Amino acid sequence: MSSADAPAGCALLSGDEAIARGAFEAGVLVATAYPGTPATEILEALAACPEVRAQWAPNEKVALEVALGASFAGARAMASMKHVGLNVASDPLVTASYTGVRGGLLVVSADDPGMHSSQNEQDNRHYAHLAKVPLLEPSDSQEAKHFAALAFELSERFDTPVLLRITTRIAHSKSVVGLAARTEHPAQGFARDPAKTVMVPGHARRRHELVEARMVALTEYAETCPLNRVDKGDARVGIIVSGVAYQYVKEVRPRASVLKLGLTHPLPKKLIRTFARSVQRLYVVEELDPFLEGQIRAMGVKLAHPPSGPRTGELSPAAVARLLGVRRRKLPAAVGGLPPRPPALCPGCGHRALLTVLKRFQVFVSGDIGCYTLGVQPPLQTMDTCVCMGASIGLAHGIEKATGRSDNMVAVIGDSTFVHSGITPLIDVIYNRGATTVIILDNETVAMTGHQDHPATGKTAAGEATHRLVLEDVCRAVGVEHVSVVDPYDVRATRDTVAAALERAEPSVIIARRRCVLLDRDRVRHPFSVEAERCIGCGKCLDHGCPAIADVTPEGKRRKQVAIVAELCAGCGVCAQICPSGAIVEDTPRE
Amino acid sequence: MSKITNIAIAGVGGQGIILASDIAAQAALRAGHDVKKNEVHGMAQRGGAVVSEIRYGKRIYSPLIPDGEVDVLMALEMLEGLRHAHRVRAGGLLIADDLRLPPAVRLPDAPGYPEDVGERLRSIAENVVVVPAAELARRAGNARAANTVLIGVLSRHVDLPVDAWRSALTTCLRPSLLEVNLRAFALGRRRRKSAAKR
Repeated sequence: MSSADAPAGCALLSGDEAIARGAFEAGVLVATAYPGTPATEILEALAACPEVRAQWAPNEKVALEVALGASFAGARAMASMKHVGLNVASDPLVTASYTGVRGGLLVVSADDPGMHSSQNEQDNRHYAHLAKVPLLEPSDSQEAKHFAALAFELSERFDTPVLLRITTRIAHSKSVVGLAARTEHPAQGFARDPAKTVMVPGHARRRHELVEARMVALTEYAETCPLNRVDKGDARVGIIVSGVAYQYVKEVRPRASVLKLGLTHPLPKKLIRTFARSVQRLYVVEELDPFLEGQIRAMGVKLAHPPSGPRTGELSPAAVARLLGVRRRKLPAAVGGLPPRPPALCPGCGHRALLTVLKRFQVFVSGDIGCYTLGVQPPLQTMDTCVCMGASIGLAHGIEKATGRSDNMVAVIGDSTFVHSGITPLIDVIYNRGATTVIILDNETVAMTGHQDHPATGKTAAGEATHRLVLEDVCRAVGVEHVSVVDPYDVRATRDTVAAALERAEPSVIIARRRCVLLDRDRVRHPFSVEAERCIGCGKCLDHGCPAIADVTPEGKRRKQVAIVAELCAGCGVCAQICPSGAIVEDTPRE
Repeated sequence: MSKITNIAIAGVGGQGIILASDIAAQAALRAGHDVKKNEVHGMAQRGGAVVSEIRYGKRIYSPLIPDGEVDVLMALEMLEGLRHAHRVRAGGLLIADDLRLPPAVRLPDAPGYPEDVGERLRSIAENVVVVPAAELARRAGNARAANTVLIGVLSRHVDLPVDAWRSALTTCLRPSLLEVNLRAFALGRRRRKSAAKR
């Protein structure tokens, strides 16, 4: 299908695939990322190209540092991540702005307005301001490809990392893209230049002056940059717009004059003033924060609308029509009173098995980022915190320090999340004599983003075998004495292990290891079923929220009746172990 | 302004919504149109509600279909059809799989699965075609090809040549699954006459 190394011609590509294609054509040599929706597919597409060294990093900070190192060695390099990933990588980003580059360096931030799959909806355009780097915002896949390729040129010309900011609607929308061949840019090799690459204060002061001079040069460039252009139309209404909002503006106001900004930092102030003078009523339309609007108002340019506060959620054609005061005909409302359909942990999910055990202990669960966060929903409701990658362990340690107790709380964290940023807080627990119980939910993959590999799976992004990081060895090495591995499908063993850990006045790590069921499709499964004569109608099996167990209790009856949907049942047998009357049995017993 | 066709595909994560929308988008591309397609994945395999949209015509701007401008809504599940039925334009069409799948997560105080989902669909959309897609897919050789059966039905209601659809199926499907899916597509495509008589 449409991969980053498809032959020349035309293809229907997502924004992510288009960025990969643009980088590929521009001769990117090293590409690195940590999986995160909606950015994951960029690196996945590049991993299919043998010309590119495309690899998963343990986290975004490492990804950007590796890309910067490759750039120092003269290669064109990139790091891609979701918006919150750039928080993790912000440390190298801001100083990489000082060092500048040798080979072109592209940093992709995929923001998630509306939080389709994120814990916040921060507007990462602010990072361009903070780091003083140029910012590109494409509005469809063709532009995503073009801007990604151009970013390497700008990076080399202005000696700066370039930030390419997309949003979910760009990342995951497909549109038609013209393809070209790859131009190779071989790495020239690392050359010593401490004044540029060793950021001690004496060097950094000089580099900072160069950064400010670069901003002046970039501002000059922005005035004539072809990415900033005017769609001349009706002079009564002028709209300044960037990103996907451009498409919505063209949809609802096809005849208006539009100043479309593709390079949104630094702003082309002369171009904006000239455009403002050429129209009667001027609007700024953008998703999330008033990033452009604030700067344009500060220039003293009059806008036709009242100052916008930071916006919440995603834009749409209807939302843009409202902002522009375009009247729309009245439309039928959505049908009310329908049951929602949120995502759920899959039948046979090892996370559910583990969370079911935790629910019995009635402990606080300091959670993390991954599929298991779905455990916050009824009926499990076994997730009490979720902030950012790796936070579960630090939060649990903080709660322990504040309350003096560790017997009523556990931290749960996924295998990949642990590698991402769970190891340092575990060191903190040991160092500061905590006694927190940490449970690593090891499903041997990055499941939530679509099953990517990571250091503890023993496979690279290209699917090649590599050293496998052994999680239990890591935990022992940092000083955890009590490390155990359990199969969460074994309910009793899991319960006993958790009970022992909670009682212990020392820290414990429990690795609950069960491969993600979605990866284990070839496993022979024997579905379970309910023997009606033995069922006492307690409903305990419904309490762990398995989609394969259906509540078929007739209306008005208190005694529960349940049925197991054989097509959905993964045969994990957890419900059979929960059932107090032994009414749930395997259809074809194991040999 | 030239005609733009807007297709929305709704269903439950894991049913093959993204694949179905890829096929429709490829068919439009092969017929020489400008095409945009949107979807939100990430949690798509976890049994949540999923929707994907395809727009094609001479020049497409917004990847999102503007409110009330859906020409054809293709629902792989009845409740998900009802959830999006109000978005179908006057005179538009709703193609629905007769499948009824209660949500996997039972939130407290959430209403139950609407027993009268079929009647309510017909009361909202002017033109409704309900298809026993799983049954037809089984007849084609694989119950999981229900999405392709519906694509076959869809192909009779939008102005794209059949060759474009076949070529799209060939592009989007693994060779081992192609034959079953071409049969499923043909069964769906033949479906229209009987449905229209009803």
